[in-house]
Amino acid sequence: MQYFKNIVFLLVLFNSFQAFSESIYNLTPIEVSKNVYVFFGDVNNLNNVNGGAISNTGFIIGKKSILVIDAGPSYLYASRVIEIIKSYSSLPIKHLIVTHHHPDHSFGISKFIEIGANVIMSQAEINMYFKYGNRLLRQVKKSIGDNWFINTKIVKFGNNEEFPLNLDLGGRKVSIELYNQGHSEGDLVIEDLLSKIIFVGDLVFNERAPTIPHANITNWNKYISDIKNRKWDYIVPGHGELIKIKEQLLLTKYWINYIDKTAKQAVLNGTSPAEIFNEGIPASLRKYKLAKETWIRDLPLLINKYESE
Amino acid sequence: MFKVIFLVIFFLYSKFAYSGPFSDFKAGADLSEELSSSPTERRNKPSSDSIVQSKESLDPKNSAVWEDLQNELLGENANVFFVDDIKLIMQDYIEEAHKVPLIVTLPKKIQNFKKFILLIENNPIQQVISLTPYRDIEALGMNVRLEDDSPIRAAILDHEGNWYIGSKMVFVASAGGCSTPACDPAIEVCETGTVGKIAVKEYKREAGAQRIKLKITHPMETGFVVDLDGEVIPEYFIKKIHVDDKDGPIADITTYAALSSDPVILLDLPEKGQSVRVHVMDSRGLEFFSYKNDNTM
Repeated sequence: MQYFKNIVFLLVLFNSFQAFSESIYNLTPIEVSKNVYVFFGDVNNLNNVNGGAISNTGFIIGKKSILVIDAGPSYLYASRVIEIIKSYSSLPIKHLIVTHHHPDHSFGISKFIEIGANVIMSQAEINMYFKYGNRLLRQVKKSIGDNWFINTKIVKFGNNEEFPLNLDLGGRKVSIELYNQGHSEGDLVIEDLLSKIIFVGDLVFNERAPTIPHANITNWNKYISDIKNRKWDYIVPGHGELIKIKEQLLLTKYWINYIDKTAKQAVLNGTSPAEIFNEGIPASLRKYKLAKETWIRDLPLLINKYESE
Repeated sequence: MFKVIFLVIFFLYSKFAYSGPFSDFKAGADLSEELSSSPTERRNKPSSDSIVQSKESLDPKNSAVWEDLQNELLGENANVFFVDDIKLIMQDYIEEAHKVPLIVTLPKKIQNFKKFILLIENNPIQQVISLTPYRDIEALGMNVRLEDDSPIRAAILDHEGNWYIGSKMVFVASAGGCSTPACDPAIEVCETGTVGKIAVKEYKREAGAQRIKLKITHPMETGFVVDLDGEVIPEYFIKKIHVDDKDGPIADITTYAALSSDPVILLDLPEKGQSVRVHVMDSRGLEFFSYKNDNTM
């Protein structure tokens, strides 16, 4: 009898451990306008608690179909998002727009292809996704754990879209523009004409330090000004909260210009990043979330880039 | 007799009043904050205990490897002094372990030295460079790979045969700087450049002093990296760098794969060099020149 008790105890223990180690995304969409929803990402770096869900994912419901903006960090994430969308509307998810190839925005793609959604991404970023996808996948698995990436695959898909691209979701028009060589090789910006909400991907970070490694700072600056001057009610950034006033866009601009200037100055004077880091994070940058990590990671890369030019 | 008592008293006094060369380790509130702001799997909750621990491991007496390392590289029965005026300028907490910039500054009295060695205790490749100078050098800089948390030691041999050692403890957020590919596509565009391309730059510093900066395009393969097909990428690195100018040699440097890919070397000289040139040889015997070389071997 004692023997059976022990086995039952072990089984219970084993099961509870399974439940504990399961990777679950706790997602709740926020309705930012009628039939426009956003899953806001965690404000931390990717870690084993948030499962990499650090960027914002949106969806827009028309009268005939649904459009999703960004696929999130994994197959599991995308599955959860689709499940939730289905509880809001029974219309088909016809389009997935992926703003750029970074893992936190693109690794859910394979799930959307599975349900028959048309995936739209700029050609330049599809190339990056194919080229570096598997290596990046290995890397994120290593850093936050394989269990978050069950079924996550880098898949081939075609793309013959020309931008600007106009889509009709049924009584609801959406326009998609390509902002070439800004934050990434080719970021897509999605505007919902009805609600005057623009999804700008990682061209804008709200109150979080923007990441610059694939960026062209000059173009990026221009694009932020351009976005600022467009007519909108709200802007959904790639990371951080909803943007309601124009001044919030300047935070991204301030950071990228500051780090750019520092890097150029260092190249000019032959300063080592070690010497710059020794001074600490500049006071005006400390208010940004992830300031230290981003500053330390990006500055040497930028110096290296300008040195090679 | 009095002399002995005096010496004992002095010794005790100095032991307590002066906290030693390892007091340089800055593990104040700043570091604690730094550690807690970037949680990793390895160190989710850094505590002041781990900081104390690491400070202790900076003491060579507590190091499992220092004694062997000293015997092997500085010589058996070497005269070794741990000092606090040889400074290692680098971050306490490393995010990108495959390319860590650092600078070693030397006090005036030791700028005319015989040899410089940089060591990373907990690396699979512990020696980074060994440099023989032909002129005074005020500071040296380079980019290194770090496999794990480690004491870093800058060892300087003077002309009397004494080794002076500056130390610093650094933490690594995600280990494996020696065993992961040099370029991270998450944060940079990984296009490999032409191997052997050399850039030499000279910068003016105060009072006629100069900084020389060399950058050599080279993969610096450690032999610990596995490619996508599971094959080990064989080691391939720069072995020798010779720096000179119109007035003759400046330094001979022996290098190892603990230097980052596309290594950068900085040399701060008190006097300006004249048209600095660089000659490099790698582990496959290839030679590269920063200048036009007519008698190629």
